[in-house]
Amino acid sequence: MSDMPSHVPDDSVLPNWIKAPQDFFGGLALVAIALFALWASSDLQGMHGFSFGAGTAPRMFGVLLLVLGFAIMVVGVLTEGPSLAVYAWRGPLFVSLAILSFAASIRPMGMIFSAMASFMIAALGTHETQWKETFIVGVCLTAFCALLFPYALGLPLQMLPSFLNR
Amino acid sequence: MGDLFSNLGLGFGVVFQFVQWSPAFLHGMSIPVPMNILLCLIGALVGTLVGVLPGIGTIATVAMLLPITFGLPPVGALIMLAGIYYGAQYGGSTTSILVNIPGEAGSVVTALDGFQMAKQGRAGPALAIAAIGSFFAGCVATVLIAVLGAPLTKLALAFGPAEYFSLMVLGLIFAVVLAKGSVLKAIAMIVFGLLLSMVGSDIETGASRMSFNIPELADGLGFATVAMGLFGFAEIIRNLDAGGEGDRELVQQKVTGLMPTRKDMKDSAPAILRGTVLGSILGILPGGGAVIASFAAYTLEKKLARDPSRFGRGAIEGVAAPESANNAAAQTSFIPLLTLGIPPNAVMALMVGAMTIHGIVPGPQVMQKQPELVWGMIASMWVGNLMLLVINLPLVGIWVRLLRVPYRLMFPSIVIFCCIGIYSVNNAPTDVVLAGMFGLIGYWLIKHDFEPAPLLLGMVLGPLMEENLRRALLISRGDATVFLTRPLSASLMAISAFLLVLALLPALRKKRDEVFVESES
Repeated sequence: MSDMPSHVPDDSVLPNWIKAPQDFFGGLALVAIALFALWASSDLQGMHGFSFGAGTAPRMFGVLLLVLGFAIMVVGVLTEGPSLAVYAWRGPLFVSLAILSFAASIRPMGMIFSAMASFMIAALGTHETQWKETFIVGVCLTAFCALLFPYALGLPLQMLPSFLNR
Repeated sequence: MGDLFSNLGLGFGVVFQFVQWSPAFLHGMSIPVPMNILLCLIGALVGTLVGVLPGIGTIATVAMLLPITFGLPPVGALIMLAGIYYGAQYGGSTTSILVNIPGEAGSVVTALDGFQMAKQGRAGPALAIAAIGSFFAGCVATVLIAVLGAPLTKLALAFGPAEYFSLMVLGLIFAVVLAKGSVLKAIAMIVFGLLLSMVGSDIETGASRMSFNIPELADGLGFATVAMGLFGFAEIIRNLDAGGEGDRELVQQKVTGLMPTRKDMKDSAPAILRGTVLGSILGILPGGGAVIASFAAYTLEKKLARDPSRFGRGAIEGVAAPESANNAAAQTSFIPLLTLGIPPNAVMALMVGAMTIHGIVPGPQVMQKQPELVWGMIASMWVGNLMLLVINLPLVGIWVRLLRVPYRLMFPSIVIFCCIGIYSVNNAPTDVVLAGMFGLIGYWLIKHDFEPAPLLLGMVLGPLMEENLRRALLISRGDATVFLTRPLSASLMAISAFLLVLALLPALRKKRDEVFVESES
C-alpha cells in the first residue's frame, strides 16, 4: 500500500533474527487470540458420540488459528519483510474517546447533547482543527441528525436529556 | 425462455409498484407513489454521496448506510441497499478519476489513466465513459443473473449439508486466491472471522459460548457492529494518520465537455465489451472477483493494445475496461448469494446481514418462496444502473464540490453518523463500544498488512459452516470421509485443494502478483 506511513529505522530495539517484525508480531498476536479463545471455550462440552458439542467448532477454529499464527511467525523469522509501522496516537485516542463518550452519554443525555460532545472530542483527533469552524459545523450536523434520524428515517431516538423528559 | 421473461416481468412489476401514500395533510386523499423506484433512486444518490468521500470504500459505505434501511419493508430495503452499492461503486470511480484517491481496491486501476485524463482536462469524458461502460456491463450482468438464476437454484436444491460445507470451503479458498497479498495471512483472517462468529449462544444446545456473561454478547457479535468498526472507524483512524490533507491533489479545472467524442467511443467500445465478459465470469466465482476483475481487465487491455505505452498517460481504454469489469463482477457476484445463499465477498456478506435482520435466510428457498423479492432485486439492479447514468453525470459538479470538504470536518461527522447508526440498530450503547473496539482492531490489522475483508466473510459463513458440518457428520454417523465419498462434494473439495496448492506454488504466485502490480506504480 502506498499510503502506509514511513517505517521505523533499522536500528530499533528488536532482535535482528526477526527479519519481518510486521509478520512476526502479527502472528504472535493471532497466537494470543487463539489461546484466549481456547481458554474461553474450555468449559464447553466437546464431542459426544457422533454429534458435535457446543465447544467442538470453537476449539477446532481456535487450534487452526493457533497453527496459522505460528506459521506467520515462522515466515516473519525466515523471510525479509517490512518492519513495524509507526502508530499514530492522536487519531485513535480521540476517535475512541469520542465513541466512548457517545456510548456513555446517549442514554442519560439524549442524542443532541451526546452527538455534539462526541463531535467536538473527535475533532481533537487532528491538529488541523479550527475551533470556530468546527463548532459551527458541529451545530449544523447535530441539527441535521436531529431531523434525519427520528423524522426522515423513523428511528425512535431520545433527543433530550432524560431528566427533562420526566 | 418463457420463464425468463415472466420472471423479469414479475421483477419489473415489483420495481414499478405504486404504493398509495396518504399523508395527514391531504385529509384522507392518497397519491400513488412508485415506492421502490424512489428507494432505488435515494439509495443510488446517498450511496454516491458517501462513496465519493475520499478514503471511504464500498464496504464502508454499505456498512454505514445499513441502518437507514432497517425501517423499510424487506423488498424495499434490499432494493435500496442494492442502489447504495452501485452508487458507492460509482462514487469510488469518481474519486479515483478526480482526486487520484481510489476509495477501494477495485478502482485503483481506474485512477491510473482516469486521473491522467482529468489532468489533461478530459475529466468529463473519463467520467462519462466510466458511467457508460458500467451501464453496459450492468445490462449484460442483469440478463446473465436472470438466465443463470433458475438453473443454479435447481442445482442448489440437490445439495446436502456435505455439499454445502464443501462449497463454502471452496468459496473461502477462492476468496484467498483472488485476494491481494499473503495467502497465509488471508487464511488466518478467515479463521479469525470464523472464531468471532462462534461468540454467542450455540444454535443446537443453547450453551453460551465465549460471551463472559455479558448480556449483549449472548446473541453473538452483531454483524453491522463489526462491519462498521472494521471498515468505518478503522478507515477513519487510518486516514487520520495518513495526514488527511497533504496528499489530496484535486483537479482544479472546471469539469467541462461531458460527452466523449466519437473517437473516444470507438476506442473504448471493444474495451468495454472485453471488460464486461471478463468481469461477468470472475464475478460469478465464489470468493468475489470484483477486485481482480478490474486489475485483470486493465492488464488485458494493455497486452492487447497496439501501443501499450499510452497506458498510464490517459488512455481511455484504461478507464473503460476496468470500470466495466468492476461493475459486471459486482453484479454477477449476486448470483451465488441469491441462488446458493453463500455470500462471495464482503459486500454480499453485508447483504446477508441485512437479509437476516429482515428475517430472510438467503438461499434456494428464497427464490421459490419469495420470488418477488429476488426478481424485484434483479430488476432493480438494471434500474439502479440506469439511474446512475441519468442522475450522476449531470450531478458531477456537486460531487466535485463535495470533494473539497476538508477532512478535518468530514471525519468527526462520519464518527457521529456511525455512532448513531450502530446505536439505532439495537438501542444498545454496548454495541457502540464494541464497534469502537473493532475499529482499533481493524487499525491494528491494517498496520500489520492483514486484510479485514476475509475476516468479515468468515464471520458470516461461520454459523452456516458449523451447522452444515454438524449435520453432515451426524447423517454420516461420524464418518468424516463423507466429504470425499459423495461425488459433488468430492469434486468441490478437489477444486479447493487444487486452487490452494496453485496459490502456494511460487510460479503462480508471481503471476498473481503481476496482475496486482499496477497498483504499486
